[in-house]
Amino acid sequence: MALLETKKVVKRFGGLTAVDRMDFTLEEGRIVSIIGPNGAGKTTFFNTLTGIYKPEEGEIVFDGHPLIGLRPDQITSLHIARTFQNIRLFGNMTVIENIIVGMYPRQRQSAFDALLRTRAFKDEEKSAQDKAIKLMKYVGLGNVGNELARNLPYGAQRRIEIARALASDPKLLLLDEPTAGMNPHETDEAIALFRRIRDELGITILLIEHDMRVVMNISERISVMDYGVKIAEGKPEEIRSNPQVIEAYLGRGAIAEMTAS
Amino acid sequence: MERIIKSTVLRELLRPLGQIVAFVLGTGVILSILMFLISLIANKSAASLALIERNGIDLFTYTLINLPQVLVDGMALGFVYAAIALGYTMVYGVLEFINFAHSEIFAMGAFIGVELLLALNAAEKLSNITVATAFGWLFVAILAGMAASGITAVLIERIAYRPLRGAERLVPLISAIGVSFFLQDAIRLTESLTSGQFHRIFPTFGNFDERVSVLSFNVASTQMILDIPIKSLVVIVVAILMLVGLNYLVNATKLGKAIRSVAQDRNTASLMGINVNFVISMTFLIGGSLGGAAGVLYALKFTRIDPFVGFMPGIKAFTAAVLGGIGNLTGALLGGIVLGMVENFAGAYLGVFTMGNFGVEYKDLISFLILILVLIFRPSGLLGEQVSQKA
Amino acid sequence: MAKPTQTNISSLLKPIWGWITKGITPYIILVVYLAISSFLVFNSPRSLPAFLMFVSSVVLLYYLPTKIWYKAVLGVLIIFVIIPIVGVRNIFYLEIIFQICVFAALALGLNILTGFTGLLSFGYIAFYAVGAYLWGFFGGQQMFLLHAIPGSAGPPGKFFLPADTFYLFLFLGFGLAFLVGILLGLPVLRVRGDYLTVVTLGFGEVIRLLATNMDKPLNLTNGPQGISPIQRPTLPEPLLQALRVVLNPIVGHEVTLNEFYNLFFYLLALAIAVVIIIVTVRLDDSKLGRAWIAIREDELAAASMGIPLVTTKLIAFAVAASFAGIMGVIFSASRMFVSPESFIFMQSIGVLTMVILGGLGSIPGVILGAAIVVIINLGILTDLSIYLGELRQSDKVIPIINFAWKNLSSQLDPAKYQRLVFGIILILMMIYRPNGILPAKRRARAIEEHFVELNNNNNEKEAENGAA
Repeated sequence: MALLETKKVVKRFGGLTAVDRMDFTLEEGRIVSIIGPNGAGKTTFFNTLTGIYKPEEGEIVFDGHPLIGLRPDQITSLHIARTFQNIRLFGNMTVIENIIVGMYPRQRQSAFDALLRTRAFKDEEKSAQDKAIKLMKYVGLGNVGNELARNLPYGAQRRIEIARALASDPKLLLLDEPTAGMNPHETDEAIALFRRIRDELGITILLIEHDMRVVMNISERISVMDYGVKIAEGKPEEIRSNPQVIEAYLGRGAIAEMTAS
Repeated sequence: MERIIKSTVLRELLRPLGQIVAFVLGTGVILSILMFLISLIANKSAASLALIERNGIDLFTYTLINLPQVLVDGMALGFVYAAIALGYTMVYGVLEFINFAHSEIFAMGAFIGVELLLALNAAEKLSNITVATAFGWLFVAILAGMAASGITAVLIERIAYRPLRGAERLVPLISAIGVSFFLQDAIRLTESLTSGQFHRIFPTFGNFDERVSVLSFNVASTQMILDIPIKSLVVIVVAILMLVGLNYLVNATKLGKAIRSVAQDRNTASLMGINVNFVISMTFLIGGSLGGAAGVLYALKFTRIDPFVGFMPGIKAFTAAVLGGIGNLTGALLGGIVLGMVENFAGAYLGVFTMGNFGVEYKDLISFLILILVLIFRPSGLLGEQVSQKA
Repeated sequence: MAKPTQTNISSLLKPIWGWITKGITPYIILVVYLAISSFLVFNSPRSLPAFLMFVSSVVLLYYLPTKIWYKAVLGVLIIFVIIPIVGVRNIFYLEIIFQICVFAALALGLNILTGFTGLLSFGYIAFYAVGAYLWGFFGGQQMFLLHAIPGSAGPPGKFFLPADTFYLFLFLGFGLAFLVGILLGLPVLRVRGDYLTVVTLGFGEVIRLLATNMDKPLNLTNGPQGISPIQRPTLPEPLLQALRVVLNPIVGHEVTLNEFYNLFFYLLALAIAVVIIIVTVRLDDSKLGRAWIAIREDELAAASMGIPLVTTKLIAFAVAASFAGIMGVIFSASRMFVSPESFIFMQSIGVLTMVILGGLGSIPGVILGAAIVVIINLGILTDLSIYLGELRQSDKVIPIINFAWKNLSSQLDPAKYQRLVFGIILILMMIYRPNGILPAKRRARAIEEHFVELNNNNNEKEAENGAA
């Protein structure tokens, strides 16, 4: 059964249809990419998946749960986690706190546990800290747990965001341009990390990406969006040679030139 | 070519006049009809009977007799609110921030204007003068208030807001409330040191306290007289002149175009060669001087001012700005008129209709409730577009 | 620009700090400093510098590194012995300390709302009013005056409830404010950013106007005059007798009932402030506290991490309100009087000033902020007023400009210029130090050990690289 399925999802902003009748299916355990030119509606599609936008039409079903009408926090509780295109960490919290915030939907403590400092509270906080440390190491962060997130370099912030997303025990991880602004070396490390997340933790990954090298390297399937519409879908090699995709990226006439040369 | 320019000028002068007339008439008619309906429904109620016993007239007649006065007072108050509201709305349009100190900029204008007149009065320049001279001095006082408030506004922006541009949104807001408090006590300190007390009374001169009968007629054996205090007329006329002038400035001059472009997009405007800092200063200058003029008019109408005089009109003018749709100049005008009218209707009728259980003292409460309800249910206001708020 | 001077100062202070924090030195410094300042306050009860020195000894006690038992012993000594004695000798200082406790609690409440959750409120004092009027109504005689026009009827001469129900009303004040917090929070949270601030201002004013105007049709609040008298809980006479035996000879006069009440309310406010501090500290470092701060930092990201925004913000409103509610009950009982004057807009901004001055989100910061603002208000400004008053009585003149103090306006009373002080503090803090005197710090966790291995590996790698 598909882990995530959307049917005819439509999201409009005034007169603009940002996502147009989007059908999308994601099998469990895959790494899948959505690509498309700027303004194609990829991030908007992500935001409808995570409940930030309410789609006007269509259905979204994740793991047997319909997602339409749920708030972002409810959707996260259903084991979907995400990162953001422009990193959105909690800048004035420490790295370790950022990651523990990610565990919010899994923590069971009540405010009274916190006030009375019960055994259950202490145990949960201790295991949260241990888990955060483990995640920091997993994504390749050094001893920066007590630093404020805003004081760290860009690459580290990207890693923290991924660790924070992993902290919520996701079944599905949504990555919005996770390698944007990275140098080739960092990008390679990131690709390796995504593979490990899927292979070792069994987490399905859906990513939006601009960097074709990343997309072709990592994706098992690719969906292409243009003007809110899904124009193509398939394996990387199929997408690479799809004329519609080339046209969307390079403009009309590009194919003629390519065939001519 | 000349004709086109002329027609633009004419249009920009006539359009706001038309709007003013429409808003005043619309609000006045709607509220009057509403009042008549309520008074008809309640005409047999205990409140009405009590009124007959006391004054010999029923609620409906009471409503009718008082209506012209209520409308005129509401209009005068509404124009004062509108003039202050323009200051909030202009700054919000350009900087997207609530200038909490605008209420004290208003108070500053009131004090400078009144102090000037008091000084003239002390020098016996205001006694035994012709009506024209009296109007002349009042005009000078208004100009002085405008200048003082305009300069204050520019200085405040330069000292307390400009260094904070680009900071988190809470930061300039807190600074603004600090400026507001500082100015209240600064005015009080100055007044205490120089005059030994801190409230001032608008001097009596000219014929501003007299009333002119506009018309009188009989309705159902009740004689109705509409006589308007001259000062209310002055407030209304001056306010209308200012509002038309501002509209012209913003819509038909180069500076106005610059202000509008900075309001649209500050960065792009600066890339187009507009001196953004200058435009922001000018916005504060214009908004501030309108507030200052409103201050002098307010002092003329309500006579007594103190350093905290700005708070209530300030918050109500802000309500007016939000009610009309903040950032929108026409909206501020509409909001001011609606709020001024509603407040006067409430003040005039609430006590009688509830047999004194809820009286005129609830008019402030009503303004606050309007503010809260508008912000919660229609934060874009009556004329604003439905825009998503920036957090 | 300001940075170099700061580092200069800190580099200057470092060796001194190092010296005074080493070994047994802090223990000696503390006890000596405390003894001297207590002695000074005891001997010259009217001296503000002595009092400030005494207050600073408390700050020092907090910051100097000594064993916890030592701090506890000195703390108990200060709270139960020194303050009562010097406080009864000059009841004015007891009042200052009482108000510091009350406002520290309020500032901590507002800090949850504005400091932690990032919801700037200009109407916080309304919740304080809720608690104060709750006890004002039930602890006063208002129940018998419901149909009387304010000021027209004579005092009924009896109270509606027994005085000791006060303790019950502490909890009721807490609960009612909690509920009002949720009720006001629900609509308020529909708006965001600047508008939220304005709506809170609106609600704050609405509550004050209701308190002013609800003297008819039913006289619930007694209008602008306010409710008076309000009961205080009873103090057991035998205990007072026993305390008199001890206290009278020390303070040098017969301790009056009012002075005992001042002591009682000081201890009560302090106890509740301490509970509130513990609650705040514990919530701060828990799932809920992290959720608040996450919302302040980035609402969208917080929601995407599974934090329910509305519920979490509502809890912030309710908790913040409940702190103010409970202190309101104490306030009206201690004054035996409550009126709308105490809940004007300026009071909300006063509490905000404390939070901003100390440092948004910083628990020790806002407590210090509360102390500083109260001392400025009651201590420094009042002292200045008294001093100016004396000068006005004298024949002195200001030399150069030849201005006789006698001619100074009697309106110029520095104690009334709180707005000026708050205003300047707010502007300067925003421009030069928006994070406050003691900026918020996040708890550093002991996690070094988990990364030791990692560091070693890195070192080995580097060593290998170096060798290669």
